[in-house]
Amino acid sequence: MPKASAGWKAYAVSLATLAAPGLSHWLLGRRARAFAFFGIVAATFALGLLLHGALFPFQAPNWLYRLGAVAQVGLGLPYLLGRLLGWGQLGPEDAADLMFGYGNTFLVTAGLMNMLLVMDAFDIAVGRKD
Amino acid sequence: MIPDHFLTLVLFSVLVALFFATLNHRDRRAFWKSFGKTTAWMVLGSLAFAFLMLWTAP
Repeated sequence: MPKASAGWKAYAVSLATLAAPGLSHWLLGRRARAFAFFGIVAATFALGLLLHGALFPFQAPNWLYRLGAVAQVGLGLPYLLGRLLGWGQLGPEDAADLMFGYGNTFLVTAGLMNMLLVMDAFDIAVGRKD
Repeated sequence: MIPDHFLTLVLFSVLVALFFATLNHRDRRAFWKSFGKTTAWMVLGSLAFAFLMLWTAP
């Protein structure tokens, strides 16, 4: 089981989750948990998009949307890919969509979950957690 | 897709409960206990809050 020291390796391993949810746990030898985290975060992200949620840009006109962008950027690569490929585009008719709020909740939650995974992986990497 | 408020609430609660149970519990029994408690609190708490909003609506 590879174990990183408290130096730059711990930071590098924990930030790997920003490339794919659960990747840090995989690199730290927690394979089962890595699969579970990937499935949970990916399902939350996919459901958010299917429910017509938006991947908020940082230059959104509403401060609440900008706050949402801060949470969603925690997804890392999926957020950037989604923004580049035009998934979850914010449109003028979105507020009237019945599922828009739910979709956003799923997407923001997926981002926050991924941030927690980064912190959890860091704790494991420095030996604070099993 | 899924134009059902309750189903969306249940799906969201299950995903969040699964996440925190996986994050915080290694023991299988503790995992399921945490999962059940979190799901129940989220679903029933939301229904109670929704009822309260309905009840206090002008």
